[in-house]
Amino acid sequence: MRRWLFLSLVLLLIAGVTALGEVKNPGTLVFLWTSDLRTMDPAYVASTPGSYAPFNLYDRLLNYKGESIDEFIPGIASVVPSVENALITQAPDGRVFYTFPIQEGVYCHQVGVRAADGSIEWKYYDELSAAERKNIVPGFGEITAGDVKYSLMRAMLLGFSWMANAITAMMTGNDYPDVEAMALALSGAENLDDVDDATLIQVHDILSEKIVVKDNTVEIVLDKPFPATLGILALPFGASILDKEWAVAQGAWPGTADTWIDYFKPTLEENPLFSVENGSGPFMLEEWNRPEKKAVFKRFAGYFREPAKLERVVLRSVTEWTTRLLQLEAGDADVIATPVEFLDEVEAMEGVQVLRGLPMVSTTNTFFLWPVRNSGNAALGSGKLDGEGIPPDFFADIDVRKGFCYSMDYGVLIEQIHLGNTLQARGPTVKGIMGYREDSPVYSYDPEKAAEHFKKAYNGELWEKGFKLTGYYIAGITTWQSALQVLQQNLAMINPKFKIDIQGVQWSAFSDLLWGGDEPGAALIVCNWGPDYSDPGGPLGAASYYLDVNGAVAGFAGDGYRQLITEKFQPLLDQAWAMVDPAQREPIYAQLQAMSHEYATTLFMWQDYTYVVARDWVKGYTHNAITYGAWYFYPISKEE
Amino acid sequence: MLAYIVRRLVFLPVVLFVLILMIFSLQMLLTPMQRLALYAPSPDYLKGGQTFIDSLIDLYGLNDPFHIQFGRWIGYIVRGNLGWSQTARMPVGTALGALFPATAELALFAMIPVVLGAIWLGTKAATHHDRLVDHSVRVFTILGWSFPTFVFGLLVLMIFYGSLRWFPPGRLSQWAVLEVSSASFQRYTGMNLIDAILNGNGRVLLDSLRHLVLPVITLAYVNWASMVRIMRSSMLETLQQDYVTTARAKGVKERVVENRHARRNALLPVTTVSGIIVAYLMGGVVITETIFDYHGLGRFAANAAANLDFPAVLGFALYFAVLLVFINLLVDLLYAYLDPRVKLG
Repeated sequence: MRRWLFLSLVLLLIAGVTALGEVKNPGTLVFLWTSDLRTMDPAYVASTPGSYAPFNLYDRLLNYKGESIDEFIPGIASVVPSVENALITQAPDGRVFYTFPIQEGVYCHQVGVRAADGSIEWKYYDELSAAERKNIVPGFGEITAGDVKYSLMRAMLLGFSWMANAITAMMTGNDYPDVEAMALALSGAENLDDVDDATLIQVHDILSEKIVVKDNTVEIVLDKPFPATLGILALPFGASILDKEWAVAQGAWPGTADTWIDYFKPTLEENPLFSVENGSGPFMLEEWNRPEKKAVFKRFAGYFREPAKLERVVLRSVTEWTTRLLQLEAGDADVIATPVEFLDEVEAMEGVQVLRGLPMVSTTNTFFLWPVRNSGNAALGSGKLDGEGIPPDFFADIDVRKGFCYSMDYGVLIEQIHLGNTLQARGPTVKGIMGYREDSPVYSYDPEKAAEHFKKAYNGELWEKGFKLTGYYIAGITTWQSALQVLQQNLAMINPKFKIDIQGVQWSAFSDLLWGGDEPGAALIVCNWGPDYSDPGGPLGAASYYLDVNGAVAGFAGDGYRQLITEKFQPLLDQAWAMVDPAQREPIYAQLQAMSHEYATTLFMWQDYTYVVARDWVKGYTHNAITYGAWYFYPISKEE
Repeated sequence: MLAYIVRRLVFLPVVLFVLILMIFSLQMLLTPMQRLALYAPSPDYLKGGQTFIDSLIDLYGLNDPFHIQFGRWIGYIVRGNLGWSQTARMPVGTALGALFPATAELALFAMIPVVLGAIWLGTKAATHHDRLVDHSVRVFTILGWSFPTFVFGLLVLMIFYGSLRWFPPGRLSQWAVLEVSSASFQRYTGMNLIDAILNGNGRVLLDSLRHLVLPVITLAYVNWASMVRIMRSSMLETLQQDYVTTARAKGVKERVVENRHARRNALLPVTTVSGIIVAYLMGGVVITETIFDYHGLGRFAANAAANLDFPAVLGFALYFAVLLVFINLLVDLLYAYLDPRVKLG
C-alpha cells in the first residue's frame, strides 16, 4: 500500500513536470541578477541597479538616442531643443534658455477620476472604461508642464541623491553642489538647522525662477551656459517626471516654498514615494517583494507611444551562480548576471547569446593617495622610508608615481585579465567623451624607465632602501586583485626591495579607508569611477571626477593630491567649463588628459565594459555606455 | 509544571537584553564610516564627495553617542517594531513576518523525513547490528554528514533540475506566482503548499511540492547522520535492557519487542536532537536557501549581517533567541511526557 502511494506521488509529480514544462510565456522576461532595487522614487536613486525602476516606470523630458551618449530623442518633451530649432537661445546678458514643448495626452499609470460624490479617486488608467476616461480630472495623472517643474524642483529640494543634486548644480551654474550648500552660503549659517525661514524660501524661489512654465512648455533659464544640461535631463534618475497631484496625495512635498525643508533628505522609510510609483513610462510596478528581492513590471497599455512588446518583466536577485546558469539553460530565465570567468562556458551553450565588450564610460585605476594618516596605520608599514614601510606622503614624489606607472604591464591587464575585451585607459576621459584622443600619451610597461624614475625618487634613497606598503581593493572583485598582483610582481622584479602587500577588504572597510578620517587610511587603492553624462566638465563629468578639487577622486586622495589639482588642473578645468563652443573646449580637455599623464596623477588602467548573457530569443537590447548598461525594457521582445 | 514554565520564561527578557546589548556593542566598535556602508552600499553612492558623506552620517545619527543610538533602537522596540531594515527595505518585524512562512514551510516539510527516516534507519541499523544493513546505513549517513551542504545541494540541483528538469529552484514557478497573487487565491498561512490545499488548487499544490523536493532532500540527508546515529545507539542500548530480554523470554514477537518495548524508550534522546534540528531549521538554512533560490529567514539574516544591517541582525537575534527558549521548553515538556520518571520543577 505504502509503495503504491509513493509510486503514485512520484508519477503525479513527473506528470505535473511534463505538463508544466511545456508552458511557455513568451511575453515575460525573467531577468536574474545579483543586485536589488532600492526605491521607486526617482529623486532618491543614486546607482545603476537602482536606476532600473525609474528608467522603465517613468519618463524624462528626453532620452538618449540608441547607443549614443550625446544625442537625444524626445521623451515627454515633443522636440529635442537645439540651437538650430531655436529652442536653445542665448540672451545678450549671457543667460541661456532651453525650451521644452510638452507632449499632449501623456497619462500616468494611475489617474484621478471624479467619482459620483465629487471626490477624486486614483485608478489604473488601463482599467478604466471609456466612460470613466471621460471623467479623468484634468492634470490628475496627465503629465503637464507644471508636473515637469514640480518634479525637477522636488528632486533638487529633496537633496538626497547626488544625481538629483546635479540638477541643482546645473540650475545654479555650478555655483552650488546642492540645496544645503546653497542655503548655507546664502544665510552664512554653519548648519542647515540654523538657516532662517526667509533664506529657505529664497532658495526655493531662486530655483523656481529657473524653471518657467508657459502654457504647455517648460523653459529652463540658466544664468550661464551649462554644456551638460540635456545630458542631465535625459538621465533616468532625478530628472524623471512625476505627476504632482498624485505625489502630493501620497504625502510628498506639496510644492510650497516654505515647506520644502520638512521634506528635505528623508531616510528611505520616511519617504512617502519610497515603494509606490505613478510614472508615465512603458511599464507599471505590479509587485515589489522586497524581502525576496523580486520586482515585477507590467506593460502599460496606455503608454503614449506604442505599448511595450513584453507583457511583463521579472527582476529577481539570485546570488548563486550555478542556480542562475541552470535556470538560463532550462529557459526559466532569459537574462542572467554572469561572472566574467564563465563567459566562454555560457557562450558555448546552445540557445544562449553573449554580447561582449560593451563599453562603459568609467575607468578602473590604481589611485595614489597622499598624505596618508600616520598613527598606527598598517598600510604604511613602519611609516618611514627604511625598507619596511613608506612615509605618509610617499606619492608626493612625482618620480615614485611615474615609476609605478611604468611598472604596470598594461598588455597583461587587457589581454590576459580582460581577454581583449577592453582598452587601456588613457586618462580621465574615455573613448566617446570630449577630450579623448587616440594618440594621447599613455604609459607602457617599461622596467628600465621605471627603474630610472625610482632611482631619482627621494634622491636615490628609495632605490637603496626599498619600500613596503599595502594596496587595497574591494574583496571579491578579482580583476582588481589581479591588477595589484601584476604590479606587485613587476615591482619586485624591478627591485626586490619593493614590496606590496595586497589586501581585499569589504566595502565598509574600504570606504572607511578613503573617507573615514581627515586623511585617507591607504596610500594605494584600486577602484573605478566614471562620469554620468558625455561632457567632461561640470559636477559629474569625467574630467571633473578626477581633476576637479571638489571631484570624487580629490575627495579621498588626500591634501597632496588636492594641492596638485588646485595648482595645475583647476584653472584649465574652469576655463573649459566657462566656454560655450565645443571646438574651443575640446583642446583644453585633451590637454588636461595629457597633463594627467605628465603628472602621473593616477595609474590609469582600463576602460570598464560590460556584457550581456541572454537566451537568443531575447531581441532588441541596445547598449548605452552612459547608463552603464542598465536595461531599458521598452524595445525588448522575446521571439522564438 | 506551570511553575517550571513560568520560571523559564521569566529569564527570557534578561537573556534578550544581554544578547542585544552584546550585539549592539559589537556594531559600535565599527567607525561611523564603516556603518554608513549600509546606507551607501557601493562607490556609486558616494560620488557626492566628503560633504555629502558627512551629511549622510549626520542623517542616520551614526556619530551620536552609544546611549543615544542604543536608546533610539530601544525606542523602536517600545513602539512595537524592531527598527527598519535596509536589506529588506521594510520594518524588521514585517520582514521577519513575511519570510517566516517560507522558513516554517521548509522546516516543517524537512522535519518529516528527517525524524521518520532517522527513526526507521536507526532502528533498522540497530536490529541488524553489525550486519550488511547496519553497515550500509552507517555508510549512507556518514556520507551525508561528510558532504558539504553546498556540494550536495548543487549536485541534486544539477541532476534533478539541470538534467532532468523535474524539480526547479525557487518557491513557485512564474505562472504559479501569478495565480497565487490573484484575487481568487486566498492567503491563509503564507505557506504555499498549505494554502494550495486550503484553496483546493491542485496545480499550485503540485508546483509547490516540486519546488520543495530538492531543499527537503538536501536538508534531510545532511541532518540524518546525527539523528540516525543517536537513534541507533539508543536502540542498541535499549535492546540490551532486562525488560527487553524478559519480553523476548516471554515469547513476544520480535517486531512487537522492537516497536513497543524498545523503540519508544529509545526515542528519548532523539527528541532532544529533534528540538535542536527544528531550531536550526527555523532559524533558516543559509546555504540551502541560497542554492535553491528559496527566500527564507536564513538568507535574510546572512544578507543583513554581510551588509551590516544591524537593526535586522538584532531583530533576527531576538527572534532566534525567543525561538530557542520556546523550543527548549517544548522539548523539556515532551521529555517529561515521554518519560514518566522525569519530573519538572
